[in-house]
Amino acid sequence: MDALATKYLRSRKIPSTACSGCGLGQCHKAVVQAIDELGYKVEDVIWATGIGCAGRQTYATWKGDSFAGTHGRVYAIARGLRVVLPPEKKIVMTVGDGDAFSIGFNHLLHCVRTNADMTVMVCDNLGYQSTGGQYGWTTPAGVVTDSSPYGMFDPNWVQSGQDVLDILKAAGATFLARHVSMDGRAMVESVKKAFQNRGFSLIHVIFPCTTNFANAALGSRNPVDLFRWIKERAAPLGEEKPNTIWRTGIYHDASNSRPEFSQLVWGKVAEIRGRYAHEGTH
Amino acid sequence: MRRVLETGNFAVTEAAIMAGCRAFFAYPITPATEIAESMSKFLPRVGGVYLQAEDETAAMHMVIGASLGGYKAMTATSGPGYILYADPYGWAIGCEIPLVVLNAQRVGPVSGITGAPGQGEFYMSRYPTQGGNFETIVLAPNSAQEAFQLTVEAFYLSERFRTPVTVLADQLVTDGWEDISVPETEEEKAAMGLRFMERKVHPGPNFYPPTDEIDLPPVVVGRGRNVLCSDWTPTEEGFDIETVEAQHKHAYRLVYKIRNHKDLITRHETLFLDEDPEVIVVAYGTPSRVVKTAVKKARAQGQKVGMIRPISLWPFPDELFKRKAAYLSVELNYDGQMVREIERAAPRDSAVHFYGKCGELPTVAELQRVFDRLLNGQPLARDGWEMEAW
Repeated sequence: MDALATKYLRSRKIPSTACSGCGLGQCHKAVVQAIDELGYKVEDVIWATGIGCAGRQTYATWKGDSFAGTHGRVYAIARGLRVVLPPEKKIVMTVGDGDAFSIGFNHLLHCVRTNADMTVMVCDNLGYQSTGGQYGWTTPAGVVTDSSPYGMFDPNWVQSGQDVLDILKAAGATFLARHVSMDGRAMVESVKKAFQNRGFSLIHVIFPCTTNFANAALGSRNPVDLFRWIKERAAPLGEEKPNTIWRTGIYHDASNSRPEFSQLVWGKVAEIRGRYAHEGTH
Repeated sequence: MRRVLETGNFAVTEAAIMAGCRAFFAYPITPATEIAESMSKFLPRVGGVYLQAEDETAAMHMVIGASLGGYKAMTATSGPGYILYADPYGWAIGCEIPLVVLNAQRVGPVSGITGAPGQGEFYMSRYPTQGGNFETIVLAPNSAQEAFQLTVEAFYLSERFRTPVTVLADQLVTDGWEDISVPETEEEKAAMGLRFMERKVHPGPNFYPPTDEIDLPPVVVGRGRNVLCSDWTPTEEGFDIETVEAQHKHAYRLVYKIRNHKDLITRHETLFLDEDPEVIVVAYGTPSRVVKTAVKKARAQGQKVGMIRPISLWPFPDELFKRKAAYLSVELNYDGQMVREIERAAPRDSAVHFYGKCGELPTVAELQRVFDRLLNGQPLARDGWEMEAW
């Protein structure tokens, strides 16, 4: 184990239970690196996950408190938890694309609406890979999966003119970024900014699934083929090419620009409590 | 003692606050909305938080989140919301999270009649989620006063057993205005039989051993205990695993922590059971109040009837049904849900009859006619649309 893993992760989960060639480890690494550089301790961070690859292969990896919610609802658990948690504690969630942008989208949007302090990393393997490789709402157009044998034709959340990050921005998210998992340093910097935003932050990270996605979409399980395929379709914001699907970098940064949810709630509770302090409960 | 003329909804709010509830999340629904309204008014005054969720699924998950953060937390709903609790209810059972749910039953299926009492979630409260491999605790009040007492008790049991507890009320209990006594001193609380349990914090990092123990502190995050909990089958350390051995140990704990301590949960009211009843009438919730009047009246006329009112519905009080007699289940539904449990619990050759209505209570006169028929050995059958009987 490397020094970061020894310091922050449970040895039982190292090496990871993810498939060989999976990019999830790059996502984890960026989060742990950011935590280390910000000087957070194990007890400062609560790491939550949902289901799917991003959930199952992440749960209980973090050495501190870690929990895995039901399918798509970990956002609602986190919102309830955020309200009662001391403000200095950080909540980070690594969740899948189906979890965040499909089954849990409603709950995610209400975390956004309220600007609840949490950092959500959507680890996007371009579909439902832990169930064998069905298409999801970030599977690029034309891609063959187990459930789109003639190519993905269902409209998706990354196609031109309907970027899912636009929805989150309009809903009130205060920090949004997108990366591919091979982005390395740039992704670590985005995660650090996300943690430092006292409010709702989301980082959308495309990561390679060599087991199911690559096999159906590319006809190859060679990690290098898929890494290259993803990199060719990603470009920094402002440097898009005709074949660009994923525009990477910091998409929207309004960090600390509006009240954080639990601050808002407890401010109001304190005000009401003060007003009725001399009247008892009734 | 403070006496107020108020609704059951208000009584539940008073009780929850007294029991230490400081987080309440819900989605508005008739006939439980007034609990949310009174929580929104009174919780902030005592330093608690009330929030409206985007739907019932989120409300229950937020309750889980608050409990996971160390707060006593609660939600309230009716049937169409209770079904949406199914998903987080299972998570809370599996992760052994204490919390309290109030279900003000109305008439179904689906939205049915919103402002009338029903008893359609008898079995659903036993199996409020998928997957099986668990026991549940359900308490059923028949008055605003009892809703107060059982809400306090629900918090107590949820903490000791580290599990969600449902208070299964009905629309008449929650919406009805009644004389309610609210104890104010410790002596008054004790005299009313109220029990309280403070939140304890799991020492971490392991999950739970495969034992039937209660009083193990629940998992709380944010306290530096490095705890784990998830929707997957856990090892004793809390890691996710897919082995039947781990699953058997998990299921054993979830089932037997409740089964082996049933005596802490069971409550009931009985009438004339030791006076040789030929017909034993069984009812819970609001209908039991009409039944009680009818049974007393029948006894006064010399008829050999008795009554069993389960107050704790689940685990079902099998031990109350040992007498050889004809049983009559009176319920606010047409399908006769509790009948099957009585058939299971009663001596093998017992006749189990049913008298059920949807959305309105039977009258004492109606029940008297039913008693007359049964005591005269005549069959019971539906007569028109206004009830179901057999």
